[in-house]
Parts: sequence; structure tokens; C-alpha cells
Amino acid sequence: MDASELQPISHFLNQLTPFDSLSPATLERCCRALTVGYYGKSSVYVPLDEAHPQLYIVRSGAFEVRSEDGDLIDRLGDGDFFGFPSLLSGDKVSNRVQILEDGLVYHLDPNTFNQLRSESREFDRFFNRAFAKRLRHQSRFKAKELGSTNRVSSLMSKHPLTIDINATVTEAAKLMRDARVSSVLIIDNQKLAGILTDRDLRNRVLAEGLDGLLPVHQAMTCAPTTLASNALVFEAMLLMSQHNIHHLPIIDEQQPVGVITSTDILRGQSSQPLLLIGEIERQHDLDSLISVSKQIPLLLQNLISADARAEEIGRVLTSVTDALTRRLILLNQQILGEAPMPFCWLAFGSQGRQDQAACSDQDNGLLLAHEMDEYAEGYFEALTKAVCAGLDKCGYVYCPGDIMAQNPQWRMTLKQWQTKFDTWVVRPEPKALMHASIFFDMRCVFGPTNLFDSLQDNVLESTKDNDIFLAGMAANSLQVSPPLGFFKKFVLERDGQEVKGIDLKHKGNALINDIARVYALSAGIKEVNTAKRIRLLMEQNIINRKDALNLADAHEFIAHMRLSNQGYQFTHNEPLSNFLKPQNLSSLVRHQLRDAFKVVHDAQAGIKLKFTRSF
Amino acid sequence: MLHTQVLKSRLCWRAFRSHKEQLKNYYQALLPLLDKPLNQVPMVAVDLEMTGLDAAFDQILSIGLVPIRDGQLVLAQAQHKLVKIDGSVGQSATIHGILDNHLKQALTPEAAMEWFLEATLGKVLVAHHAPLDLAFLQNGLTSLLGEKVSLIAIDTLAVERKRLLRQHEVLKEGSLRLGACRDRYHLPIYAAHNALIDALACGELLLAQVASISGTEQVKAAELIG
Repeated sequence: MDASELQPISHFLNQLTPFDSLSPATLERCCRALTVGYYGKSSVYVPLDEAHPQLYIVRSGAFEVRSEDGDLIDRLGDGDFFGFPSLLSGDKVSNRVQILEDGLVYHLDPNTFNQLRSESREFDRFFNRAFAKRLRHQSRFKAKELGSTNRVSSLMSKHPLTIDINATVTEAAKLMRDARVSSVLIIDNQKLAGILTDRDLRNRVLAEGLDGLLPVHQAMTCAPTTLASNALVFEAMLLMSQHNIHHLPIIDEQQPVGVITSTDILRGQSSQPLLLIGEIERQHDLDSLISVSKQIPLLLQNLISADARAEEIGRVLTSVTDALTRRLILLNQQILGEAPMPFCWLAFGSQGRQDQAACSDQDNGLLLAHEMDEYAEGYFEALTKAVCAGLDKCGYVYCPGDIMAQNPQWRMTLKQWQTKFDTWVVRPEPKALMHASIFFDMRCVFGPTNLFDSLQDNVLESTKDNDIFLAGMAANSLQVSPPLGFFKKFVLERDGQEVKGIDLKHKGNALINDIARVYALSAGIKEVNTAKRIRLLMEQNIINRKDALNLADAHEFIAHMRLSNQGYQFTHNEPLSNFLKPQNLSSLVRHQLRDAFKVVHDAQAGIKLKFTRSF
Repeated sequence: MLHTQVLKSRLCWRAFRSHKEQLKNYYQALLPLLDKPLNQVPMVAVDLEMTGLDAAFDQILSIGLVPIRDGQLVLAQAQHKLVKIDGSVGQSATIHGILDNHLKQALTPEAAMEWFLEATLGKVLVAHHAPLDLAFLQNGLTSLLGEKVSLIAIDTLAVERKRLLRQHEVLKEGSLRLGACRDRYHLPIYAAHNALIDALACGELLLAQVASISGTEQVKAAELIG
């Protein structure tokens, strides 16, 4: 027998750690010792023979290892192993292995397994480590978070220093001295009323010649800017640089739970997206902005290759777009002069939802404080044209539907916007709604928030519990189904002869966005980011906890697949698209993707039942 | 049930009619296997490389065997033999990659048939598109033993055709090729093309087919033999 006889098997093992560390002769001996089995879903569990433990090497298919109590220990796909703990420990088999997808499995007998361990240190070490890891019940199938250090909660000081609103500044200063901190939170009736910092004591007390008996509420900053503890560190940095402040109280459920300072953050990290935003804010002309924006695709690729959560990638990229938009507005105002009235720059669609990815187009509009005169019309015409053109040159192409601030149709006063929304809400024609749905994902990127709030409050007031409108929105969102056919096979999009694959955006994430939007509008929720909408819907018991978590997971998983697919396309110099070819997936991932689409399908059935009453 | 009885009586008849002890044993060893559930039946996946497709004048070049025991392919007992031929491999070398000088160490056709009969004794043959392989083997055995030999086998192609027709699928051209069948069960693609690898590929396909058919009740060997 020459060495190449079982070539497909030796080739497979040769690419598999730790078998890749074996010599060719040993590898061939190992191949010869294998038996090959096939496990079908119909038998549910892999029959594990207690008397004959062996190493199972998964060649294809998907399996789940569960403990005696049914806890998930591991999910396995091509090139993964099971059965080694009892081979190493000699204990009897206690875990069960459930078959998720039919698969081919190689079995290695204990004698050969032990021989290989004694012959190769690497082989031995690999399985000992895997065993130790298994003992810690580590699950490997979750997408990595950007790193827990990237949440505000990981960097903030946990027990914030607080003082009552009626205390004097001297008392506050003593407290700060003893705790050796630079700020104290001011509490009124168990709620945060303000923050007092070193700088306040200097500027508002000492420099004014006031004495230490001054009550803290006269020296503090009232109603300070705050963040939630699960916000990204990066968002904290953004707020600080926007408002030129160094302390941010962290609030969860209206209770102060910590404080984060610029020093905390500096200690934490130096972050690439923030550097990019800093750079954007330093540029003084369009050409230099364009050259800075060339880094955005690279930023996206770095985030993808760091295996960041898709939701975080969306928020980071959108923050860059927001910064770019603001910078363009400010630069053009330097040329055109002060605006004749307050206005808000509105972002719709993906920028509104903070889930931008590669090759986003722009969807924006302008909200004006009051009617324009001739001068104002000319001013905003010039401003919006310049900003939209700038965004286009920076890689955010013009909106094909012309939903842009440079289109006079989408430059309106508060009154006009309200009337516009009313036409959609009062007479929800399916066709009109199809185009209008992106407007309901709106966010203010620039301008006074109170102006924007009055528009949003008004819109939500009219949509909340508005059965007819919600039925229209729900029916509209049900027009596309997730790509699962009969027998749970994937339905692939075709372009003539060519198979384009699964459309992860329009048949996946867009459907979840639609579902979250309908629920959010029905409950009058202001948030427009899909993940946050789902979280709020769960907290308000509008969607039950299990469904909400499933939907959020499905959203994250599909978005993650879409981004990593684009990462693959990018590194292989292919044009970026939303289409994924399922044959390129391992069965484990195929299984998870199918589960995710199943969740979307179920959630669609949910809104159908809740909002569209078909008699 | 009826099918099993017909198969059994046919095997008994062949054993009775045969004048060769070797062949009598071969047929009789198969008899008790027919009513057993498939995962208890010893089987052997077989594949041949030939100089062409016509059993009347093309010759066997190599034989690959992979035994199946307790529903698992046993690679330790997998065997691959090259067979001497009259003349040259000619153009067929482009398909199987066996060149004339490979065949210098090969078995004579007679020795190969002796070996085959011994290696497959008491095991049900499994092949993809079995009629073709059986025709070559039967010819070889007939000229070795001097009496007509007729073999039985599980044909994974026939199993697949039946399964697809039962699902009311339209059979497209090429959809029953070994590679296409394996793809349907997400079995890995094996690039190499020799008798041993194809026997392995065919054996794996059978395991996958059995897993998908069996569900609750267990399939008996006779049900799959054409």
C-alpha cells in the first residue's frame, strides 16, 4: 500500500490541528486505523458505546454536546472532535451528542489515540487543553464582543461619590478630597440632579469670590449629559469631545451607577475609530475630508477581522458618517455664514438606525424651525447641495430615490413634516408605506434636539395604538419572506443562470428592522436602532423575553454573516454584495443560519397575528 | 417479504446447482444475512477500474474493497489490487491514471478473482451502478471457475433513484452520478479517482442513504438488493 492510497482522508487530517503535527508515516497509520460512520438526524443522538470509548472526528454535519442536565457544552462542525474527555479521564461517558445535521464522522480507537499521544507531545497537549477547556464549559460559537473593555461599565468607577443637593460646596470638596476624586454627583430625591467637578469649584466658586457655605446646587452643572452603563466606551468619548467635558455620570434605570472620566478612558485604550473621527473634526476643507474618508472601508475591514459584533460595527460606522455630516455642515456654514433660523439635519434609514455597513447611500432631510423667506430658501439650497455633494464624494452615494436634503421636497418646517407624516399615518396605502418606512427610522444628526423631539413626539403620538396604520405597516413588512422553502431548504436568488445566493440584507436584516419598527411605533418608542428597539420592547413586556432575545440574536447573527461575507469579498477583490452562497458554509453555520431565518419567520407570523386581523 | 423469499430461493438454487465447493460456500454464506437489519450485516463496498465499459471485451484494471462492519467502514481492512491485462491500458489511462508500468507487479486476473472471492465471502457487495461492476466480476469468476457465476449486490444508484422518485423529484441528467448523490447528503468531495477511493465514497453514500431512509424502522439487507 503506498502512502497516498487514502488520500482524501489523510489530506483532511493533515490540515487539522493537532493531526498536522504528525509525520506522514504516522498520519497514514492513523488513517488506516479509522472507521467511518454516518449519523442521521432521525436517530437524534450519536449512540456512544460506554464500553468502547473512541475519538470522534467530525468530517461533515453539525452536532451539539450536552451535559447530563441538558446544558449546552459545545457545538461542533467540520474538523471538530468529541469523545476525548472520557478517553483522557477514563470516566464513563456522561455527555450526550445530539445530531443537528446529518454528518460523516471518523472514529479513532483508544489504542491508536494513546499511541499518537505518546509519540507526539503536540498531539497530547492539544487534547489535554481541549479537555481543560471543555471542563470550563466554554462555548465557542458566540461572536466575540469587541472586548468587554469596550463597554462603559468596564471602565467606569463603580460606586460614584454622591452628596445631597442641599449640602454646601465645602462639604462636597471635603468628600472629594477624602475620596481623591475630581467630581461628585448631586442627588435630589434619589435622582441625579447635577454634577460638581474640580473645574466648577474653581470657576463658579473661587473665581467668583464666593465662600464655602454656598449650596452645591448653585455651583453644580444641572441635568448633566449622561450615558447608560452598556454604552460603548467609544460613545462616551464622543459625548465628551462634543460637549467638551471630562466627566460623564452613568445612569441605569434613572439611578446613578457610576462615573466615567476622560482619564478612565485614556487609561483604557486608544481606539482607531475615534482617531478617525478626531481627524475628521480637524479637517478644514472638502478635499482633505475626502482623503480622510478613504480610511472608512479599511476601518470596516479591521472591525470585521477583529470579529466585532455586527451591532457595534454598525454604530461605529454610523458615528463616523454622523461626524462627517456635521463637519460638512460646519465647514459650509463657515463659507455661507450663520443659518437664518435653527434647523435639524435628519438621517433616515440605515444611518438613522445606526446600522450602516459597506457602500451605504445617503438618506437625509432638513427640519426647519419655521417658514423660509427667499433668502433662507437660497441659503438652505446652497448648504444642502454642498453637504450632499460632499457626502457623495466621501463615498456615501446619492440616494437613488432622491430622499436627500438637497431635494426641496425634503426640506420642510415642523408643520410640513407633521402633515407629511400624517398623510402616511392617516391613509396607510401599502405602496406609499413601502417608500415611507425609512422615514420612521429618523435621527437628528445636527441641530437643536428640542426641535427634533417635537417632530418625533408628534409622529409617535399619531402612530401609537393606531390600528389601521399599524395593520398597513405590518402587511407591508410581510410582503417579503425569509429565504426558507418547504423542508427548510434555502431558497436562492437567481440571476438568469447564475446563482446569486441568499440575500442577507433584504430577506434577513431588513425584515427584522421592519418587525422592530412596527412594534416600536405601536408602543410609541423613540429609539430607532433595531437592537435597542427590541431591548426596550422586551423591557416593556411588549415582546416576551424569549422571543425578543431570539430576534436580537438572529439580527446579530445574520448581520454578522453579511459583514463577514463582505469581509471575504473584500479580501478576495470581489465586488461587495449582500448575497451569500450557502455552499460555502460549513454545515454548522448553515444550521445556525437556518435557525436565524426560522426566528424571523416566526416573528413575522407574530406581527401578522397581532396587527393584521385577517377575518 | 416476498422479495426476500425470491432472493433466498435464487441463492439456494445457485448453491445447489454449483459444482464448485468454493462457490457453494459463497452463496450459502449470504443466505442468513438477508433478513438481518442492515447495521448488523457485514458488507463490502467495491469499485472497479476497467479499460472500457463493455464487459464483453474490456478488462478489469484494479479492484478496491472497503468492508463495512456494524454500520461503519473499516479502513484497516480496505484493500486495493491492480490486475494484469492483455495488451495496453491505452486511452483509458486518462480516466483511471493507471499506466502500463504500474501493472508490472499486478495480480493475474485468476489470482485477483481468487482473492476477491475470499475477501468478500460472507459479505454483501455494495457498488454504485452495480450492474456494470457485477458484469465484469461475473465474467472474471466464470472464466476462473468454469461455470456461470451470478452475484447479487446493493446498488447505491438504484437506491438513490428509488428514493428520489418517491419524493417525486424529476431526475435530471447526471443527478445519479456518485458525486451528485454524495453532494445531496453533504458528503465531502473526493478529488482522487481510483477504485479504492470510489469504493470508500460508495460505502459512505450507502451509510448516508440508510440513515435517511431508516427513520424509525430498520431496513433489512434484502430490501436494498436489486
